[in-house]
Amino acid sequence: MKQNSMLAMILAGGRGSRLHDLTNKVAKPAVSYGGKYKIIDFPLSNCANSGIDVVGVLTQYESVLLNSYVAGGGSWGLDARDSGVFVLPPREKADANLDVYRGTADAISQNIDFVDNYDPEYMLILSGDHIYKMNYAKMLQAHKDNGADATIAVIEVPMKEASRFGIMNTDEETGRIIEFEEKPAEPKSNLASMGIYIFNWKLLRKMLVADMKNEESSHDFGKDIIPALLNDGKKLLAYKFKGYWKDVGTIDSLWEANMDLLDKKNGLDLDDRTWTIYTEDVPTLPQFISKEASIKRAFITQGCIVEGEVQNSVLFTGAKVGPGAKVIDSVLMPGAVVEEGAVVTRALVADQVKIGSQAVVGSADSEHIELVAKNVKG
Amino acid sequence: MARALGIISFSENHIWVEGLETYRSIPAFSFLGRYRVVDFPISNMSNSGIDRIQVYIRRKPCSLVEHIGTGRHYNINSKSGYLQMVFADSQEDKDYYNTDIKAYAENLDRMVKASNTHVVIAPGYMVYTQDFDDLLKQHDESGADVTLLYHKVDNAKEAFLSCDFLNLNKQKGVESIERNNGTTKNRNIFMDTYVMRKEIFLDLVQAAQKASSMYTMKHIINDMCGELDIRGVAHKGFFAPIDNLKSYYDANLSLLDQKNVKSLFSEEWPIYTRTSDSCPTQYYETADVKSSFVSNGCRIEGTVENSVIGRGCVIKPGAVVKNCVVLADTVIGNDVHIEGQVVDRLAKVTRMKEIIAEPEKPGYVKRNDMV
Repeated sequence: MKQNSMLAMILAGGRGSRLHDLTNKVAKPAVSYGGKYKIIDFPLSNCANSGIDVVGVLTQYESVLLNSYVAGGGSWGLDARDSGVFVLPPREKADANLDVYRGTADAISQNIDFVDNYDPEYMLILSGDHIYKMNYAKMLQAHKDNGADATIAVIEVPMKEASRFGIMNTDEETGRIIEFEEKPAEPKSNLASMGIYIFNWKLLRKMLVADMKNEESSHDFGKDIIPALLNDGKKLLAYKFKGYWKDVGTIDSLWEANMDLLDKKNGLDLDDRTWTIYTEDVPTLPQFISKEASIKRAFITQGCIVEGEVQNSVLFTGAKVGPGAKVIDSVLMPGAVVEEGAVVTRALVADQVKIGSQAVVGSADSEHIELVAKNVKG
Repeated sequence: MARALGIISFSENHIWVEGLETYRSIPAFSFLGRYRVVDFPISNMSNSGIDRIQVYIRRKPCSLVEHIGTGRHYNINSKSGYLQMVFADSQEDKDYYNTDIKAYAENLDRMVKASNTHVVIAPGYMVYTQDFDDLLKQHDESGADVTLLYHKVDNAKEAFLSCDFLNLNKQKGVESIERNNGTTKNRNIFMDTYVMRKEIFLDLVQAAQKASSMYTMKHIINDMCGELDIRGVAHKGFFAPIDNLKSYYDANLSLLDQKNVKSLFSEEWPIYTRTSDSCPTQYYETADVKSSFVSNGCRIEGTVENSVIGRGCVIKPGAVVKNCVVLADTVIGNDVHIEGQVVDRLAKVTRMKEIIAEPEKPGYVKRNDMV
C-alpha cells in the first residue's frame, strides 16, 4: 500500500461575511472565481498536483453545496483506491456532545479519529479560501531538510499592509520563526502567514489534545497552537512562497482577483499545463460569440453567449450578454444574464442574477465595486 | 436498468473522410470545438436511460479509446451499467469483409448473455439528438418487428450522397433501403438507426451471415422487407451525417446559426463529453471575434469570423480566421490569413501567410503540420 506520509486538511467552514450576499447560501470556499472555478478548487488541485492522496475538508457554515461539490473527489483525480476527499462536518460522537467547530484547531481536534485511520507522519493544514498555486511537496521537503517541528508558509506583503495579517518575525539567516503576531499595530516584519502549516502529526496531535481541554483557549491555530509551540521552544520554520496569492475577503478583492486574470502575464497563469487547476465538469456548449458582439480584454468560459459588448471583464459559466448590452470592467458569475441594451459597469453580478433590458448598474467612477445579488428590472 | 442494449455502430466501407480519418475514426472527430461526434449517440442513449452500451470500433482506435475511457463522463451507472468498447478486428485484409454483421457475430455471446430484451443501434458517425426511450415506445405501439429512423430532406440531389434512403409506403412500412444516387431531391434519408427485439437482432445476424460474407445489417434488413414488419419513424431536429470533409465542415459551421443550435441542443438533453480541464479563453486587446463558437483554453489576439475554434488554440495578432473549423491546440501565426479550412489538431500555420479555399470546397491542413 502507498504510504500516506502527509495528509491534508482544508479548513472550509468560514462564511466570509464580508462577501455579503455571495455567501448567504454557500461558504466562502464554494464562491466562484476565474470563470469556471470555485475557490476551493485551488487547494484541492494543489493537493492533487503535489501528490497528496487523502484530503479532509472541514465544513461548517452552509455546507450543503460544498459537501456535494467535493464529495467523491473525482473532479480533481482524487478518487483512486488509496485516495479520497472526505467531507468532515461536525458530528455527534459516543464520548462527546455534538458541537460546532469552536475554532480552526478544534476542527482538526474533533477529527483526530479520522486522521488516526491513516496514521500520517505529517499533517498539512490549508485554508479553503485562498487563490494560489503551490507545490506542497516542496514545502514538505524543506520541512524535512530543516528538521522542523512545524513549517508555516509565508509571503512578503507591503509593509504598510502588514498590520492586516498574522506576521512572522524570523531569524533572517535560518528562517526560524521567533515570534508570531496576529495583526500587529506596529509590524516588525512583512512576512505574512498564508494559513498553510505542515506539522509533525505526533506533535500536533499532542498539542490538540491538550488544547481541547484548555478552557482559556480559543482553539485557533494562529492564536493558540502556534504561540504554544513557540513557548515550548519548538522549531518553527518560515517557508517563503513567491508567486500569486490572494485572500479574496471582500467584493472589491474578489473583483480585483478576477481582473488580474486579464493581464497577459498574470501571476496565476491558469493556462499552465504543468499545474492544472481542476474543477467540476459541466455539460454546456462552447462559448458562442454572435455577429454583433464585440469583445476586448476578456476571460470567457464555456456556456457563455455574447451578443453585445464585453470589455475588460470576466464571464463565468453560462453567463449571457444580450444584443446591444455592455459589460465593462465587470464580473458576471455563473448563469448571470445581462439583457438587451443593459449596461453593467464596475459591478459583480452574482450567480443566476438577471439584469433586465436597458437597465443600468454600477458606475465607472464608483469607489467600490457594486455587488448585484438580486434581479434588476428592465 | 433499461430494457434495451445500446449499440454504436461504425461507418460502412464506402465512407472515407479525407485527411481527418487518416488519424482517427469518425466517432472520434472533434465536433463544434468541445465535443466528439460519438458524444451525441452515447449521450442520446444515456439520456434515454440506456446504460449498457457497446461501441464498435473498426479502425484507428487510439483517439476514440482515449476519449471514451471509463465512460464515466457519460453519466452511466458504473456498476449496473457499462460502456464497452468492442474492437472489430476480424483479421480480414480486405476491408469490405469487415462488416458490422461480422463484428456483431464475433460478440454474439455477450449479447445473448445480456438480460436486455431489445437493441437500439445508432451510428457513431452521425450527429443528431433523439430520445430512444420514445422511439422504443413507438416501436411497441406500432407492433413492428424492426423500426428504422429516417430524416426527410429536400436536398438529396447534392447532399447525403453516401447515405441510403427508405422507400416507404403510406403506412410508413419500409419497402426497401437504397443508396441515395442523387437523382431526386426529396428523400427519406436512413439514419442507420434501428430498434428491434433482441431475438430478431440475433436472427438477422445469423441470416446475414448465411446470405453473404459481405452483408451488412442494412443488406439483410432490405432483404427482409417482405417478410418482417419493418417501419420507419421520422426524426425531427438537426441531422448531420459525417461522411466526407465537406459534410463535416458544413455540419460544424451550420451550427453558427442559432436556429440549428436550438434544434440540436436543449437544456433537458445534455451532451456529455470528456473535460480537458482547460482554463477559460483569453481575449486580448486586439481580438476581434464574431459569429463563432470558441472552446476553452484559447488565447485570441487576432480576428475570428464565422468559425468553430477548438480547445487551446492560439490566434496571434493580425491573424484572420474566416469560415474555418480549427481543431484543438493549433496555432495560427501573426498575420496569417486562412479561410475555408479544416485545420487539424496541433497544426502550426505561421509561414504560409495565405491559405484560402471557398466554403463550397473546404481545404484541409494536416494534423501536427508546420505550414
